[in-house]
Amino acid sequence: MVGEKRLSLFSIVNTILLTFIAIATVYPVLYIIAISFSDTASIVQGKVFLWPLGFNIDAYVQILSEDRVPRAYLNTILYTGLGTFINLAMTAIAAYPLSRVTFFGRKFFMIAIVLTMFFNGGMIPTYLIVQQLGMIDTIWAIVIPNAIWTIELLILKSFYENMSDSLRESAVIDGASEYRILFSIIIPLSKPALASIGLFYFMGHWNSFFIPMIYLNDVNKYPLQVVLRDMLIFATAEQTNSLVDRVTLAPEAMKNATIFITMIPVLMIYPFAQKYFAKGVMLGSEKG
Amino acid sequence: MQQANLEQARITKSESSRWIKIWRHIKRDRQLLILFIPCIIFYILFRYGPLYGMIIAFKDYNVFRGILDSNWVGLKHFRNFFDSADFWLLFKNTILLGFYSLLWGFPFPIIFAILLNEVRFIKFKKTVQTLSYLPAFLSVVIISSMVIDFLSPNRGLINQFIAWIGFEKIYFLIAPEWFRTIYVASDIWATMGYAAIIYLAAIAGINPTLYEAARVDGCRRWHMMRYITLPSLMPTILIMFIINAGNMFRIGYEKILLLYNPMTYEVADVFSTYVYRKGLLETNYSYASAVGIFEAVIALIMLALTNVISRKMGGRSIW
Repeated sequence: MVGEKRLSLFSIVNTILLTFIAIATVYPVLYIIAISFSDTASIVQGKVFLWPLGFNIDAYVQILSEDRVPRAYLNTILYTGLGTFINLAMTAIAAYPLSRVTFFGRKFFMIAIVLTMFFNGGMIPTYLIVQQLGMIDTIWAIVIPNAIWTIELLILKSFYENMSDSLRESAVIDGASEYRILFSIIIPLSKPALASIGLFYFMGHWNSFFIPMIYLNDVNKYPLQVVLRDMLIFATAEQTNSLVDRVTLAPEAMKNATIFITMIPVLMIYPFAQKYFAKGVMLGSEKG
Repeated sequence: MQQANLEQARITKSESSRWIKIWRHIKRDRQLLILFIPCIIFYILFRYGPLYGMIIAFKDYNVFRGILDSNWVGLKHFRNFFDSADFWLLFKNTILLGFYSLLWGFPFPIIFAILLNEVRFIKFKKTVQTLSYLPAFLSVVIISSMVIDFLSPNRGLINQFIAWIGFEKIYFLIAPEWFRTIYVASDIWATMGYAAIIYLAAIAGINPTLYEAARVDGCRRWHMMRYITLPSLMPTILIMFIINAGNMFRIGYEKILLLYNPMTYEVADVFSTYVYRKGLLETNYSYASAVGIFEAVIALIMLALTNVISRKMGGRSIW
């Protein structure tokens, strides 16, 4: 072919460029891991580049022997577990009536729900509502005020709509109630869609820092992300003072060790999740 | 007389039959409605409740009296905000940060998607794409932490490099002139991969016969990108541009909260970070709500405006 030879230069440049992008994407994560396993001297002198220097696990021993990080870890697991469960249950149930063409008031409900994507009360009024419901400093402030994400509700609703109606109809003929249809037919058949939106809910909870930061006052209830934020602010303050620190263990090592153990579940689901993730982004964009 | 009575009877009959119809509809759908109750409660409490709560912007919120019984003060808080020195600064910062994010951030995923599409070695393509999603799985706290580590004046790799090539170290995080660059660059790093998904899907939808015809005509790959891929992507690009431009003022304030400090407030402080500080840290609820309303109105106008412009230009609209 005529074209083939001329392509090669472009292909080489393109491959180099994309390789660079891939490295630039992954490198900061590897750097964090390297720092977390390095000894203080190497970190302070800024020698760590790609692998750990003076390999040790002191930072991990340190953060795991204190109360703060393990407790935050349990809190994060609790908030994420309960939060994602509530999200999925609420969304899976709410999407069903909306997916039924003849549902009473369907049009009105749809408009009322979609409008909230454009109009919301904002940070302060939402905070005051949560406060007046007595949820401040409880797990409920984390898991209830965002129990349904409108975009995920719309995605699931259109998934339900595209399901074949024949199963539902035969269930109706057999005299099944709507509850039975939803829980025994619709939801089991929607597992792929639920996995996809569940992933977004899971990531939302695991990575959320602003909501727990504003609603929780008790340090013992902090999830990992808020604890990390405190470490981060400490690190920034230390930098702006640019003092030589005399802590035996570099704060960077502790912070990055915490980041790494925070990332572990995410990195573990990542290879499986990214398939659902791409699908979810596409569904979301079609709706939005 | 009798005629009128009959008419009346018919009206009441049709009126009542309408209600009977609605009642029957409700009765028929009662199970569905019961299933829908939690959703209704959720939206009323947490989506429409705060909308109602916005009235505190026109009141002096008193913790003991609550939203309903606090005293009305009209536009006092809005006037205070417009008169304060903060107003124009926040306005400028919000616009500039939103504008730069759009200007620099928007083209990257498109270019990335097109370049990725040109890769013939499928395994390499898949690997790069999979890796490019990675930052989307990381929290904003972790991303900010990476930014801080890399830019650290003492140990950060970027400053080590700057020192190595013989320049003065830069205190990036306390230098106002660097803030916007840091914000936008870290945003590109974090969002490029997953923003490209939409474009890659659009490219996958291009009719392959177009490329075949071009190849038969002896078209170079560069020309195929220029005259087939890019024009075919145009509708997607336009839609994404409208969405992004409409959301220009909805700035990711979480990252700002993590990266700014009093020394960079002059460039980093935007409406939402200001709302957070005034409202939640200084508990100035009413004033902060007024600022929040102003921000929401501006954002909404922006969305409507970009939509109108795009409809005028190409007949495309997200509504």
